[in-house]
Amino acid sequence: MRRTLITAFGLAATINLASGHATSVQAASDVVDVRGVARGGETLRRNVVVWVDAPGSAPPGPKPVLDQRNIDFYPRVLAVQGGSVVEFPNHDRVLHNVFSLHNGKRFDLGMYPTGTVRHVTFDRPGLSRVLCNIHPHMAAYIMAVASPFFAVSGEDGRFTIRGVPRGTYTYHTWCPGGSETTGSATIGPDTVLEVQCR
Amino acid sequence: MPVRSVGLSLLVLVAIGASAARAQTITTELDVTVGHSTEDVEAVASQLRIFGDAGAGWRYYAEGAWAQTWGPTSDAFGAAYPYDKPIRPIEVYAERTLQSTRYLAGVRVGQYRTPFGIYSRSDHAYNGFLRAPLIRYGSYWALSNNFLELGASAIAGKPTLFVEASLGKPQDQDAYARRPGLDKVVRVQGSRGPFIIGASHIRTQPPISLSFARGSTIFSGIDARWMSGGVQVRGEWIRGRSFDNTTTSGGYVDAIVHRPLMGPVTAVLRAERLDYVAGRFSSYPRRYTAGARIRFSTRLVGQVNVVRQDQSGLVPRVSALDLALTFTTRR
Repeated sequence: MRRTLITAFGLAATINLASGHATSVQAASDVVDVRGVARGGETLRRNVVVWVDAPGSAPPGPKPVLDQRNIDFYPRVLAVQGGSVVEFPNHDRVLHNVFSLHNGKRFDLGMYPTGTVRHVTFDRPGLSRVLCNIHPHMAAYIMAVASPFFAVSGEDGRFTIRGVPRGTYTYHTWCPGGSETTGSATIGPDTVLEVQCR
Repeated sequence: MPVRSVGLSLLVLVAIGASAARAQTITTELDVTVGHSTEDVEAVASQLRIFGDAGAGWRYYAEGAWAQTWGPTSDAFGAAYPYDKPIRPIEVYAERTLQSTRYLAGVRVGQYRTPFGIYSRSDHAYNGFLRAPLIRYGSYWALSNNFLELGASAIAGKPTLFVEASLGKPQDQDAYARRPGLDKVVRVQGSRGPFIIGASHIRTQPPISLSFARGSTIFSGIDARWMSGGVQVRGEWIRGRSFDNTTTSGGYVDAIVHRPLMGPVTAVLRAERLDYVAGRFSSYPRRYTAGARIRFSTRLVGQVNVVRQDQSGLVPRVSALDLALTFTTRR
């Protein structure tokens, strides 16, 4: 299936949702911030991870943190570049026991008290489902991607991937409950990437 | 429960309700548990929790519980909630905590579990053990997981070493609720690497139901936890008296094992003892528990315990298999 999306700025992105591969056609020296919107069907979707297989390095972002507060994880979906160290601070007065048995990274941090922090290196790309062994309803996902260019959609389904070199690249999406999909998009100054979570 | 204390509880509840109404975040969580013990005990329990950020750095937490058992008297399923039918407020408080890697300070106001030893709900309820430790079950002349304070507590120090102090009135949701009075509790906790070590002291009143009891209830205790690679070993030891001319000492050591290869299963083991010295009423129970907690999904958790205890004085022999299934939903 191949379809072309028309954005408010005109023709912006060509997405090949089924091919599963695309080639880097060109890469310019200048970079742009890619804005986009994630949907599930017609509905705007939050917590959709989008990453682009572009060369180069992204501008430094905030330190990746999966916070434990109010007996929950914040954010529910965290995207990091493979090799990143993620902080797991406990900001509750109760202990938590954070662990992951999913394929991306297996770990068990044990229980640790308020105000203290544990660290985990997500040394290779993959999906980790993070849980607390004490509070069954605490659940989050960490998606480690093989690219420095990634974002997670916010409450309104919108996202911004910063500092992407111009060019045509493969992009990937993933959302909780869905599977990874890929497509290709031509990245330019007016690009608005519309992605579907499936 | 004295009328005045009920009034104070309601006041705290209203204040927290008002905070929740304009809260920045609000989470509601409902647990429903069904249980069966081969001691011919059936249990049904439910807890509703509302918590979140109230703004300006304050958080609120309110929990109500209802639970009932059918069958002979038993401490089965009594890990952290009373099973005597009425709907009860359990913890209802607002708290503010300031913390960095260098300091920790906080205050908690309202109704909260007595901060002695390993005391939080998370440490006792639905963590794999279906019965409270002997030293933390109201009828065994020591402390109870259902002891609650209506007052204020403060913590100060740094994350790896802090003091927690509480002043409050007993607001116990326990068959052995304490007499009115001023409770004083202090606890020091330090952590380094895989170790967390604490020391606690409480001065309070004996249960209302023990009309013959004179004097104060005074206990001191130490607690420790070690954890590494999904294995947690923890224990508490307390010594003191429930009332004059008695001595209670005892403790437990347990292990909670959740290695990555165990998937959804957490194995638990506990050995405990209680020495209650009171002349011809003395008892020296020893209890051993083995079990598992199985996480079927983020909403459904099963627990199974095998409990063995020989008769000692007034404490009966126990040889039981306890089973429980807890469904949780959160919004």
